[in-house]
Amino acid sequence: MKTIPPPCPVPDVGPKYWRSLDQLADTPEFRQWAEREFPAGASELTDPVTRRSFVKLMSASFLLAGFGLAGAGCRRPVENIYPFSKMPEGYVHGVAKFYATAMPVRNTAVPLLAKSNDGRPTKLEGNPQHPDSNGGTDRYTQASILDLYDPDRATRFTQDGNAKTRDDAVDFLGQLSKQAGSGKGLSFLAGQSSSPSRARLQKVISDKFPDARWHEFEPVDFDIHRQAATLAFGQPVAPYFKIDAASIIVSLDSDFIGGEENLYLSIRQFAKGRRTEKKGDPMNRLYAVEGLMTLTGANADHRLRIPTSAVPAAAARLAVEILRQSGHGEMADVLQPLAKAFPGNEKWIVECAADLLANKGRGLVLAGHRQPLAVHLIVNVLNVALDNFGSTILLQPAPEPKAGSIADLAQALKDKSVETLIILGGNPAYNAPADLNWAEVQAKAKTVLRLGYYEDESFPLKGWSLPLAHFLESWGDARTADGTLVPIQPLIEPLFGGMTELELLARIAGMDKTSPYDIVRETFRGIAGGGDEDWKKFLHDGFLAGSAAKSIKGRLNPPAVSAALASEVTAAVPTKDKLEVVFYRDYRMDDGRFNNNGWMQELPDPITKLTWENVILMSVKTAKDLGVYVENNENNRIQAPWVKIQLNGREIEGPVWPQPGQADNTIGLALGYGRTYSPRCIGRVGHNSGFNAYALRTTKNLHFAVGAQLTNTGEKHALSITQDHGTMEGRPIIREATLAEYNDYKGENFAKAFDMEKPPVFMPLYPNPLDKAKQAGHHQWGMAIDLSSCVGCSSCMVACQSENNVPIVGKYQVANNREMHWLRIDRYFTGSVEDPQMINQPMLCQHCESAPCENVCPVNATVHDQEGLNVMIYNRCVGTRYCSNNCPYKVRRFNFFDYNRRPLEQLQGPVYTTPLTHSTDGEWDLLRWWKDPDRGNKPSDEWELLKLVKNPDVSVRMRGVMEKCSYCIQRIQGAEIAQKVKAGASGDVLVPDGTFKTACQQACPAEAIVFGNIADPDSRVSQLKAQDRNYNVLDFLNTKPRTTYLARIRNPNPKMPDAYVMPFSTDEFIKKGNENPFESHGHAGKEAANG
Amino acid sequence: MADAVISKPLAQSDAANQVAGIVVKAPPRELEREPMVRNQRSIGWISDAIAGVAEGKTPRWWWLAFIPSVIMMTACFTMILYLVSVGVGVWGPGHPVMWGWAIVNFVWWIGIGHAGTLISAILFLLRQKWRTSINRAAEAMTIFAVMCAGIFPVIHIGRIWFGWWLFPIPNGNDIWPQFRSPLMWDVFAVSTYFTVSVLFWYMGLIPDLAVMRDRAKNKIRKFAYGLFSLGWTGSNRHWSNYEKAYLILAGLSTPLVLSVHSIVSLDFSVSQLPGWHTTIFPPYFVAGAVFSGFGMVLSLLIPLRRVLRLEDIITLRHVELMCKVTLATGSIVGYAYGIEFFIAWYSGNPYERYAFINRATGHYAWAYWTMITCNVIVPQLFWFKKIRTNMLVVFILSILVNIGMWFERFVIVVISLHRDFMPSNWGYFRPTWVDILTFLGTFGLFFTFFLLFLRFVPLIAISEVKGVTPQADPHHPLGGAKKGGH
Repeated sequence: MKTIPPPCPVPDVGPKYWRSLDQLADTPEFRQWAEREFPAGASELTDPVTRRSFVKLMSASFLLAGFGLAGAGCRRPVENIYPFSKMPEGYVHGVAKFYATAMPVRNTAVPLLAKSNDGRPTKLEGNPQHPDSNGGTDRYTQASILDLYDPDRATRFTQDGNAKTRDDAVDFLGQLSKQAGSGKGLSFLAGQSSSPSRARLQKVISDKFPDARWHEFEPVDFDIHRQAATLAFGQPVAPYFKIDAASIIVSLDSDFIGGEENLYLSIRQFAKGRRTEKKGDPMNRLYAVEGLMTLTGANADHRLRIPTSAVPAAAARLAVEILRQSGHGEMADVLQPLAKAFPGNEKWIVECAADLLANKGRGLVLAGHRQPLAVHLIVNVLNVALDNFGSTILLQPAPEPKAGSIADLAQALKDKSVETLIILGGNPAYNAPADLNWAEVQAKAKTVLRLGYYEDESFPLKGWSLPLAHFLESWGDARTADGTLVPIQPLIEPLFGGMTELELLARIAGMDKTSPYDIVRETFRGIAGGGDEDWKKFLHDGFLAGSAAKSIKGRLNPPAVSAALASEVTAAVPTKDKLEVVFYRDYRMDDGRFNNNGWMQELPDPITKLTWENVILMSVKTAKDLGVYVENNENNRIQAPWVKIQLNGREIEGPVWPQPGQADNTIGLALGYGRTYSPRCIGRVGHNSGFNAYALRTTKNLHFAVGAQLTNTGEKHALSITQDHGTMEGRPIIREATLAEYNDYKGENFAKAFDMEKPPVFMPLYPNPLDKAKQAGHHQWGMAIDLSSCVGCSSCMVACQSENNVPIVGKYQVANNREMHWLRIDRYFTGSVEDPQMINQPMLCQHCESAPCENVCPVNATVHDQEGLNVMIYNRCVGTRYCSNNCPYKVRRFNFFDYNRRPLEQLQGPVYTTPLTHSTDGEWDLLRWWKDPDRGNKPSDEWELLKLVKNPDVSVRMRGVMEKCSYCIQRIQGAEIAQKVKAGASGDVLVPDGTFKTACQQACPAEAIVFGNIADPDSRVSQLKAQDRNYNVLDFLNTKPRTTYLARIRNPNPKMPDAYVMPFSTDEFIKKGNENPFESHGHAGKEAANG
Repeated sequence: MADAVISKPLAQSDAANQVAGIVVKAPPRELEREPMVRNQRSIGWISDAIAGVAEGKTPRWWWLAFIPSVIMMTACFTMILYLVSVGVGVWGPGHPVMWGWAIVNFVWWIGIGHAGTLISAILFLLRQKWRTSINRAAEAMTIFAVMCAGIFPVIHIGRIWFGWWLFPIPNGNDIWPQFRSPLMWDVFAVSTYFTVSVLFWYMGLIPDLAVMRDRAKNKIRKFAYGLFSLGWTGSNRHWSNYEKAYLILAGLSTPLVLSVHSIVSLDFSVSQLPGWHTTIFPPYFVAGAVFSGFGMVLSLLIPLRRVLRLEDIITLRHVELMCKVTLATGSIVGYAYGIEFFIAWYSGNPYERYAFINRATGHYAWAYWTMITCNVIVPQLFWFKKIRTNMLVVFILSILVNIGMWFERFVIVVISLHRDFMPSNWGYFRPTWVDILTFLGTFGLFFTFFLLFLRFVPLIAISEVKGVTPQADPHHPLGGAKKGGH
């Protein structure tokens, strides 16, 4: 099928001359000339077989003209196809450009700067100028760019499964608009959106078709915060949390660090309150009440482990305690019956309440989206009682969405009252509550039109399917959490001619202007006036300054709250035979939208470190009780028992994973896996990963339910995890102290007092050549990682993967311990299996000054440069792998296969296809390789797309070579060159601090990773390294790493029943026969001072 | 020492009385050495017996051994082809165990390659004449073992086609190998050892090749043996030059015996991995290598002497002596194991301690205890003469020694790596079918060469054996004065 990119609309402004090239390309003269001049590229023009890939390549290579200010995305070929006859202004070939845009997610958006290399977006970074962002992102955002180049995304317009053209679809939409009449029988099903343009179009449609029905559905829905606030305050409001302003945070099953919305924001805010510069600095304290082991629980100073269904009781118990003491006895009485069911530790709640009461106005109680409305109401009441509104929570106006639920729509479909069903995005056939039987119900509409990113479960076999454009291909707008208006700018012409939601709605509304650009421009005019300059500034900055929502004052409406709360009944207590099931948003798949995203599939879950699938999580005790416990024997392929879970007549099957820290008799099921059916292709990446937890999820039990049974099938299932061993064995790898210990410590640096052995002081026979080389280096690069700030969210891992072209290796190779992540997050548990403390440590190349890897390489493939970088020369590496064996941090990664050129299914052993006998596309692999060694065995569609996502500044490694973190040397060099150019004759070649960031640093919302010039005492990294928490991992080996860590500080409340004098890891360290670093500080301090 | 009767000067008057009391003992029998060649075999018989193996119709047992060996060798090369075309990932390694069977096999084969040169060079310098019956076969074994060993470091690297970068070849980029890397030293050590071993072996072969030439019954054989015997006529001058050259080469080879495995051990001890980072490695590796080398010589020669009816040349005494060497080196190895544990404890370094506790009690404890059984306990049985002289038992024990030494390398390489500094990396290594087939395949390679060696080259140094027969002694009745001939 020839898919010639559709001609793009002529923009209002911006250069137009590139349009002529397309015309030119069609003339015979041009073809002849091109063939003569550029045979390699141009021959593809006339070759009908490869024309498709050529066109794809071309369309992917087109830049937005005129800094993205031009209006519509207009195409410009890259230099290697045609030379520029006239260089577009400001364009330098090979120099990446950044465009401000945003990633829309449900009711909010992540402000972004997208990097474009010669017309193809290659990396997403947070927009640091945005008033509510520091440039950090979450892992979902980092991975979303890969979806753009997903070869399995919907690429065609179909009617009843037959391919149609875009024009056909547009015609159909036009007819629909004309024939809809009053809109009776016309129903929409959409996801949530914060787009003012969509809201405007929705309004137009509802005006024009008053009888049309609009429904919204999100499988993972965070709207409950708004619902509760609206009910509690009697006005349409939604809360906006200022976690950074809170010194006491209580999370009631709220995984605001890992699983709630706006992670980039809440992690930043939380980490800000966590960071200490010196002794005596304040630090927030986090209490978590939860059933599953979440990232929030992992970062909590105190964690109360109770079943998720018992959290309402815990909330009520906490509320009773606080309300009684703050003089709201009447509300406490309402909650008393619910509070009685609280199963946990009374003293825990009492002391937690006391802490909150002692910090009135500086506390914050949060409830998670999984919890019912009652818990959210209680939380609102609590925050009012604690005077937290106005300081740690703001209320923002939030109009009630005029939308029905998916259940209403299903009912209407069953009643046959829906003629035309328009599905905008989403995948309801997969993720709608199971009791709705959506796949069947959907077919009941006379006409189904679906705009979808994939041809997946919801693909209408009868009706229209339109490909949805990726957000990097679309014009749009959105509002971030604080209400700031952000633009969504395309960086590339839709690769497969996809349509945006806005265009589709505009066409249905029968509007004149259906170009999304015009729609967004028009909306902007309505919001901020019509000035072109304002518009340009809006696009350039990536946000509209001052458009954040104004916070409003609310008055609690106690009768409404009491009424809502009075009806709340206590949940049954889960037992071994009536297990509690909790559905949670997966840390990687989200609700399933990243299922075909290889980076996300291979990203280890921050808690379980599991890749490529989901598991049935349960506590170790429960697993033992049920006879499905498996001792972790550190075997590569862990054989987990395969069990069946039955709940209300529905069942699923999956492997068991015993999770330390999980509540007993609770089962955690991650959503988003187990995609099994699709008319075309489920996705070559996500295929067969995990089980579908949605199959158990019903309208009544969207988040948790009690009463499930587990049966052991007796079968086993192999799992791939990246870190089996959970304990540190008392080794001082991560060093921790409590805030009290830290503040009382009299020595120089308590973290260094953890050293088991002091590094030997010796007189070298000859000086380290680096010491001399250093004098020639302008900079000395180094990194400091603050373990107090790091929450383990893993954004850095995905950012690194995206920046450095790190390949994925597939489930089987992960089981062989061959994952390629340059940066990994080590996760350790300390303490008991029931109530462990979890700690994270980002581990990457330490860039040792005396690097053990360097002197064992026989071919000089890894050497030191004068700026202190341990550099890896891929071209020189022969792959003896000795460097990895000798690396104490084990951060080197080896290309056991040609990961970049082999399709995933060829990476599943134990028998691999060999090019000696295998053919791809009917061509013998060896011959294929001979003709073009770069082509590999990937199907051509995948290959053509995947090579577009690669960062051109970083080599793509072949098989047989070692690779590792380079401190983003391409960014270092870029900055140094730019500075040298700027310096000119002045000689001022020092790159100022903060000019650039490494990819991990940039993605880190917690600002835990800081990189810079350690030769400059004023740089941020030098300041961090000068702190009294700074230490080297494995100090005694004398490797002198350039990457150092800042010890983690915990802030327990000494009055709590689970208070601890020292963190469990420190305890473990001492129990292993080491000296107590805090008792021997006089001695250690002296030594540290001396040496 | 003979009993001495001390006579002191006696008084005349007492003389008569005294004389009666004097007991004149018969002089003790002179200790008789066991002859090197039993049954007073003649020189002609020796030539026939040894050269006969490589002459005449190929026996059936040879084909029965040769065909499976060739098949296994083919499997080895197929696996290598597969490995090169797909990637090193067809083997088991992954982090943290980046070296797996390849390096285990390499060190194991190299170790086996130690006995030959030790026997031919060091024992030659030490005038241990019993070496003559076994040195030729042991040297051949050395060469083939080093060939098998040499394959592994070459194919285990990620980009085999750039393996030549490990050699200091001048190039346009002016990039040299990194001389600080022990892998680099390995290249020199192993290639030197191989070259000298081949030279030494060939040197020793020349007079025997001449024997073969002279016995040859067809032109092709005559030509071929004639070509390789380099015009040997057995003149005094030839013998004189030959003896000198042989002595010089023995002198050259002797340090190599010690250096090769010392350097191989530096592959490990230069690193800082607990379990590798040990100063005891060089002597301990050399002892282990000699231990395994003698184990392999025993495994090869015990069946051979039986099948080829060479019991009169490779006598029980030879086997016993080799058992004693095995016992001595096995005890050194056992001592080294003990010292490693002691040092790990004595160092006070928790990482080091953990590494050794993990060896004995961790997930791979089975491998460790296999090693201890085979390398420490089994050789102690050689204290008993009954065991040393029971060929079947010695054969089985020698196989166990080889298994034990393979596990020693496995213990060092895999167990040390699989749990090192950072618990987050810990993992479990498993070989794949390709690992196993490649290793088994090298046996095919080894035996193919060894069987060819049996059929074409005298497997025992004819001239040297003749030199230690009684007849060679000019004082023997048949040409020499005494029986036994020394």
